[in-house]
Amino acid sequence: MMNWNLYSRGDKFFAIMVSILIGMFTVATLYPFIYIAAVSFSSGFAAQAGKVVLTPIDATLEAYGYILKDPQFWISYRNTFIYTIGGTVMSLAFIIPGAYALSRPQLKGRRFFNLFIAFTMWFNAGLIPFFLNMRDLNLLDSMFGIILAFAVNAFNVILLRNFFEAIPKSFEEAARMDGANDFQVLWKVFVPLSKPAIATITLFCIVSRWNGFFWAMVLLQSEDKIPLQVFLRHTISNLSDDDEFAIVQTAAGFSAETVTAAIIVCSIVPVLIVYPFIQKYFEKGILLGGVKE
Amino acid sequence: MTVQEKERPLSKSEVAISDEHSATIGPFEAAVEHLKREWQLYLMLLPMIIWFAVFLYKPMYGLQIAFKDYSIFRGIAGSPWVGLEHFETLFANDQFLRAIKNTITISALNLLFGFPAPIILALMFNEVLNASYKRTAQTIVYLPHFISSVIIAGIVITAFSPTAGIVNTVMGWFGLDPVYFLTQPEWFRPIFIGTGIWQEAGFGSIVFLAAIAGVNPSLYESAVVDGANRWQMMWKITIPSILPTILIMLIIRIGNIMEVSFELVILLYQPATYETADVVNTWIYRQGLQSGQYDLAAAAGLFNAIVAFVLVMTANTLSRRFSRTSLW
Amino acid sequence: MSGVVLSKIVKKYGALQVVHGIDLRIDPKEFVVLVGPSGCGKSTTLRMIAGLEAITGGALTIDDRVVNKVAPKDRDVAMVFQNYALYPHLNVADNIAFGLRIRKVPKAEIKKAVHEVAEILGLTDYLARRPSDLSGGQRQRVAMGRAIVRHPKVFLFDEPLSNLDAKLRTQMRAEIKRLHKRLGVTSIYVTHDQVEAMTLADRIVVMNQGVIEQIGTPMDLFNNPANRFVAGFIGSPPMNQLHGFLEAGDSGPLAQVGRIKVKLPKSESLRHETGRPVILGIRPEHVTVNEVPGSFPINVNLDLVETLGSEALLHTDFDGMSFVARVETLGDVGHLTGVDTLHVRPDLMKLFDAETGRSLSLEAGA
Ligand SMILES: Nc1ncnc2c1ncn2[C@@H]1O[C@H](COP(=O)(O)OP(=O)(O)OP(=O)(O)O)[C@@H](O)[C@H]1O
Ligand SMILES: [Mg+2]
Repeated sequence: MMNWNLYSRGDKFFAIMVSILIGMFTVATLYPFIYIAAVSFSSGFAAQAGKVVLTPIDATLEAYGYILKDPQFWISYRNTFIYTIGGTVMSLAFIIPGAYALSRPQLKGRRFFNLFIAFTMWFNAGLIPFFLNMRDLNLLDSMFGIILAFAVNAFNVILLRNFFEAIPKSFEEAARMDGANDFQVLWKVFVPLSKPAIATITLFCIVSRWNGFFWAMVLLQSEDKIPLQVFLRHTISNLSDDDEFAIVQTAAGFSAETVTAAIIVCSIVPVLIVYPFIQKYFEKGILLGGVKE
Repeated sequence: MTVQEKERPLSKSEVAISDEHSATIGPFEAAVEHLKREWQLYLMLLPMIIWFAVFLYKPMYGLQIAFKDYSIFRGIAGSPWVGLEHFETLFANDQFLRAIKNTITISALNLLFGFPAPIILALMFNEVLNASYKRTAQTIVYLPHFISSVIIAGIVITAFSPTAGIVNTVMGWFGLDPVYFLTQPEWFRPIFIGTGIWQEAGFGSIVFLAAIAGVNPSLYESAVVDGANRWQMMWKITIPSILPTILIMLIIRIGNIMEVSFELVILLYQPATYETADVVNTWIYRQGLQSGQYDLAAAAGLFNAIVAFVLVMTANTLSRRFSRTSLW
Repeated sequence: MSGVVLSKIVKKYGALQVVHGIDLRIDPKEFVVLVGPSGCGKSTTLRMIAGLEAITGGALTIDDRVVNKVAPKDRDVAMVFQNYALYPHLNVADNIAFGLRIRKVPKAEIKKAVHEVAEILGLTDYLARRPSDLSGGQRQRVAMGRAIVRHPKVFLFDEPLSNLDAKLRTQMRAEIKRLHKRLGVTSIYVTHDQVEAMTLADRIVVMNQGVIEQIGTPMDLFNNPANRFVAGFIGSPPMNQLHGFLEAGDSGPLAQVGRIKVKLPKSESLRHETGRPVILGIRPEHVTVNEVPGSFPINVNLDLVETLGSEALLHTDFDGMSFVARVETLGDVGHLTGVDTLHVRPDLMKLFDAETGRSLSLEAGA
């Protein structure tokens, strides 16, 4: 469709301008990350004086030394892994069989069940009743509570259901003739056939679990249960108005800014490692979801 | 003739078997029959349905405390009804009214600046010829979407710090005095909206890029034959072709006007900026979860949910009209 | 009595009835083909036999067991689907083995069975490939392998060849026939391709709008269609159907069709039917350009000549009714362009009641 050689001068100029603009936006997107990384490796003094722009000034690992020595950092890091893995497994355990059932025309009351699930996307009881419900269920300050209470969301269910619905009926029928029951049809045929959709949902689950903050902050009190994001938040807000810390840091080579930046780097790294693997799925995934009732 | 023989009519016993089985079965029997056949499907569905009932529908039952004088000790059912008292309090509360105003203002600004950004980005991506350049740029601009609000807030706080932040450093180069951005009410909204664009414009462009990819290539080919340049093609072909998508996304955005990402607000605002930053959900959070006024906060939540519901349903109906397929 | 027996089988989707009580007995080892126009209920019938659709009324027995409420997997039938439904994530061997694995057949046995089947179908070299790396014909074979490997009592085919190109279809058709000879398993085959039906079937079942129009051997259906529908459905191009009336002649009944009178075979039942509207059926193949013994000429206006190679189709107009002849070209169509007279043989004609559409010749013979 597009061929550089066929472009007129004006078109070439236009294409080059656009490429430059895109480049600028890309750099602008990337810059904050570079800046934070640079701060994290700079000396506390340099960071505080606002000297860091692009590369570390007076490069040092002291900020990292400070947080890596903090046992709470490791505890919350571990907790985040527990929430992410446990939560994702829990989500899939609910969503895959549920979406399969909803996708089968032979399910009686299918319209009702679909509406039952879709309605929760349009109407939400809100923060307070949800919180009180968690309290009534005795799930406050409970790791299991966090894993369970955010396991399902209607969007993911509908996404997967749509995908299952698009699988030709003859696959189910062939498996049935071969002697498979519903569980076997799902596990041996539909799940392998739906890898892209399941990967997308897994990705959404992982990302939302890894990043989950608000409810973890509200529902969890014990320090040994909080995830990384809550720890990060605590550290950021404590560092900026903690007099004791101010005294400690003048002697050391780090500052509130460099420590904050170091924690940010530590919690982004796993995302960056996984990101290339997930990228090919989410583009398809978000398009998969939105359409059709 | 021989045909009779070839058709091989059924024997008496075979006909008898048929009569035995053709008796129509009643609805109850049919239901039992169906369950016997398909019980596994219902078993698969059950956990998810229970989950929705327990975690999303049961709180809806709990919403009744919006009309009650709720006390923890008496519980939801045991607390006495007070009618619309909480709603009267709410609408006499300046802070709540301010939160509504802030919510709508922030959403409107977001619509004005945040909505066109991914469209422009997608149109620009479409003009980039070098595939690997395009790919790399896309990979990078999608990334911030996957970063948590806490980190985003951490980055913003660091970058806008009055002494150490890069923003003030750069301003210093031009001889400007440092500004403590995050304590200034007039700076909250620009920073919040700007952060939103930085985080979501790239990811939001995926939908529009897909729409652009769906445009019939022969339209461009015939435009080339007609001597149109790229700029004209963008305005005459690409934009009109993706207009339905733009319209639908716009409708969705309008439907979600009550949904400001309050997690980021909580992370970025402070009492000094409540004036411009406090939105309905952050207000509910402080009243309910921090001050323990559950019933009043639940009333605010109910109000918010009903307005949101009406907006979303309206948006859905509208988009159905535009696209013939509803959005979820 | 073993085999597959359908008795008064009815299918309703809600209030809509699509199969209206069909009776059919299929003997062991028989190859029966269901044909009919699109939407006539062939697939529905087949799927009821498979157990993929619930049977609304009537009884289905397989080897003397009523299986109306038996799950598909317990009916001991296997099915080949139109789109093959090969599992794309499994290789050929695993596709074939799928059913045996589900049934927990011991591993060694599975391996042996898969190799046997692969041998029969010439798939031995492809066992490790994914379906996406196979040609259409190979996929088709894998689909059959999956059915064969279980040694079912009945094979069901739902238009298994319709996704193949014409040449491959001919080839696979022969292969299915050979396979049936070799394995001797009762087979029920759905198609709307009458050539497939004619070549494969021991018996053909012609369906229309949820009822059976006629059951018979291929030649039977061709020579003695029970009614106008079958006459029009079997044979290509379809039988010419000319409207006319019965008349009493001096030496027996006549059919007045257009300007000509056709002498009918003597028949008791037709004697007193003067004035009854009838349809005269003449197969295009039974029309000649030149006179043959026993034929008589009719005048036609030639409309169009379609050349098929060794034969040509003459589209003509006979007294306002369209009339098609399939004639030999003898390597040259030039001599056909001026045709204004065609020859037909009364002994090969069929007569149908214009109101009921039923064959009168058959009634007469009975
Ligand atoms: N699930 C269904 N609900 C309602 N009607 C149906 C359903 N499935 C099939 N039908 C109807 O039943 C009739 C018979 O369908 P069937 O699939 O058996 O036709 P067919 O003879 O196999 O046609 P084709 O040659 O096109 O495959 C059709 O009119 C069809 O519309
Ligand atoms: Mg069919």
